[in-house]
Amino acid sequence: MPDIESFSPRGMFHEGWTAEVNDYAIVCGWATKGKLFIVGDVAGGIFAFEGDTGKIIWKKENTHSGGLLAMSIHPEGEIFATSGQDGNIQIYNCHEGKVIKTLDLGKAWVEHLKWSNDGLFLAAASSKKVYVFNEIGEEKWVSDDHPSTVSAIKWSNNNELATACYGRVTFFDIVNNKTNQKLEWQGSLVSMELSPDGDIVACGSQDNSVHFWRRSTGMDAEMTGYPGKPSHLSFDDSGKLLATSGSERITVWSFIGDGPEGTMPGELWHHTEPISSLAFSNKGMLVASGSRDGSVVASFLKKDGNGDPVGAAFAGDLVGALSWRPDDCALAAVNAKGVVNVWKFKVRTNSF
Amino acid sequence: MSIKDKVPVTILTGFLGSGKTTLLNRILSEEHGKRIAVIENEYGEVGIDQGLVINADEEVFEMSNGCICCTVRGDLIRVLGNLMKRRDKFDYVLVETTGLADPGPVAQTFFMDEEISSEFTLDGIVTLVDAAHIDQQLGRSDESSEQVAFADVLVLNKTDLVSDDALDTLESRLRDMNRMTRIIRAENAKVPIETVLNLSAFDLDQILKRRPTFLEPEYPFEWTGVYDLDAGKYELMLEEGPDPEMSLVALVNQGENEEELKDGAESSVRLYAEKANTLEPGNTIPYGEHINLKLEDKGNKSFILNIEKPTKIGLFTQHTAEEFNMKVIKSEENKEIPFNTERFWQAEHEHDDEVTSIAIERFGDVDPEKLNTWLGRLLSEKGVDIFRTKGFISYSGNPQRIVFQGVHMLFTAQPDKEWGNEPRRNQLVFIGRNLDEKEMKEGFDKCLI
Repeated sequence: MPDIESFSPRGMFHEGWTAEVNDYAIVCGWATKGKLFIVGDVAGGIFAFEGDTGKIIWKKENTHSGGLLAMSIHPEGEIFATSGQDGNIQIYNCHEGKVIKTLDLGKAWVEHLKWSNDGLFLAAASSKKVYVFNEIGEEKWVSDDHPSTVSAIKWSNNNELATACYGRVTFFDIVNNKTNQKLEWQGSLVSMELSPDGDIVACGSQDNSVHFWRRSTGMDAEMTGYPGKPSHLSFDDSGKLLATSGSERITVWSFIGDGPEGTMPGELWHHTEPISSLAFSNKGMLVASGSRDGSVVASFLKKDGNGDPVGAAFAGDLVGALSWRPDDCALAAVNAKGVVNVWKFKVRTNSF
Repeated sequence: MSIKDKVPVTILTGFLGSGKTTLLNRILSEEHGKRIAVIENEYGEVGIDQGLVINADEEVFEMSNGCICCTVRGDLIRVLGNLMKRRDKFDYVLVETTGLADPGPVAQTFFMDEEISSEFTLDGIVTLVDAAHIDQQLGRSDESSEQVAFADVLVLNKTDLVSDDALDTLESRLRDMNRMTRIIRAENAKVPIETVLNLSAFDLDQILKRRPTFLEPEYPFEWTGVYDLDAGKYELMLEEGPDPEMSLVALVNQGENEEELKDGAESSVRLYAEKANTLEPGNTIPYGEHINLKLEDKGNKSFILNIEKPTKIGLFTQHTAEEFNMKVIKSEENKEIPFNTERFWQAEHEHDDEVTSIAIERFGDVDPEKLNTWLGRLLSEKGVDIFRTKGFISYSGNPQRIVFQGVHMLFTAQPDKEWGNEPRRNQLVFIGRNLDEKEMKEGFDKCLI
């Protein structure tokens, strides 16, 4: 249980709605252009709420035997996919929660799922392999075995998929079945983010560092000094700022000018316990952070990565995931107790 | 989160065929009120009957700094990271490693990864050995000796296939390698559950309760008898025994309490280090000298003890008195004088294995800064060869005992219970490969105040 006391939403956060799911909430996201908010819990419960009110629209329980591991909502927002410890992927219709397709990848956990930006492909990582399916669940491509279990996947453009594992980031052209690039680094890569243009690759490493590569120049750099492993990374929509976890502070690297190599990162100290979730807004330099202590803060950042908090709210327990509504006018947080909070996000006009 | 809220984890190691899966099934099928999640690296051989079982391939992740002590197990981090979100489903974790697993990275994972160490605590390492095959395995592979070195509990399994004598020899070999471990003999992996789960193996009080002498140094003699003798002539009579000769040191004015006995033992250790003078039967035993009694002849042999004025004589003998039916007899009266006190010592023997335990025990306080410098340096230079470190230390000025535990280079020092009226002392045990005992003891002594 968090040690900090409960508090009402402050600054630009305003009361919205709350709801509950059955277990530790691990994934969430907005569908149908913000009309629907979907939450998945660790036990395999999936819940769809009305985006404005929090009214439950449908729910599914025990969707994956052993538990749910990942969820990805299609960019159009009409369908979404989940995966779990049972080695299955399920593709659902968002409106009714009806299963459109079930894919069985075998016995191993399916830990990562990502729709491509144009929504034509769904990538899934299971143990040392990565699979790509089309919208109706037909297998289009499968990788060879990676050197270790794949720890992160990310689309760099519509046809190119990046995978991270121990010692390596690999870029695959999945249409032409080609390996475009291999970036090597002897370390266990635990997280990966790409800048929106796909040029900068950032990975959090088990040895408490963040490793960058610039694909265009081949330059790489290692940012050390984190007290813990940076499991959470988020790029802003311009690809200039990268927010990273790894302790109770948020460390922000700025790629403006010659940075971030040789520059000091921005540091935001808002939380009393380590960061458990990070999410930049869909547009602009606004980053939301959630902590193990249950606090959620939105910070407005400057070009150098420093910035000021503009709002704070209390989620009640360890923040499992954060998600900005597509219009950035609301922020959702789900926690380890299965509580869902959605706060409105707007300027306070009547503060006195 | 306090240690009580953390989920305890037991690591089960042992070569293929040592009986790990049998033990695992036994644990899972027994009524013990625990809900156990199992992470299994070795599967396919025999199925696991029940419980929350997760299969994961062993993934050893070295860091870019190349430090072996930073090496962790990626599969455990991944699986435990998921399990920690399901704490309501289980209250204990068992990890079954492959037969060839290095226990180092497994244990290090619980020190190195902050997310894991904040939710889980390493309760103990249980190593199964196949009594019939371990002798050969120890000769052939580093993995098996490391699994023995890391063990908090060694289950000597399949004892029904080996003679009692061979088991005794094996047990003493394993004991030399790891003096902290608890050895349990078993047939078909049948051991009481409480001997493998909830060990709090890092709790030294428990170890000391079980084996109060585990920290005691080894001596070149096995026995001491203290005899209260008046002035006169005495004979030391010995019958035939296991050896044709025996080393002995005789000390005058030998006290009988524990501290005086240890003082005597220490003097004797120094005398034993000198070359022995051989003494034929019928000769007089000199005091304060290392002598070697010739015992080749059949029947009784006797040596002379001359006492000028009443004193207590301490005899520090290589073997126990019983082995030679050794007696002290007052010559004039032909009367046996029994000893007042006897004390057995942990006898020194050959260490054949590279892996050994070194124990340091010293009374008094240490300077925390000096100790930190010494230990930091020792572990950074020898960390690769030091598998486990356990012990407690008395910091000067600190009312609490400081408990140390470490795996390779990593160690933690935590304040424990208050000393109270107990004499302040330090006890440290290192288990490792090719360790230099003398150098380590000297290094530690420099930290004493």
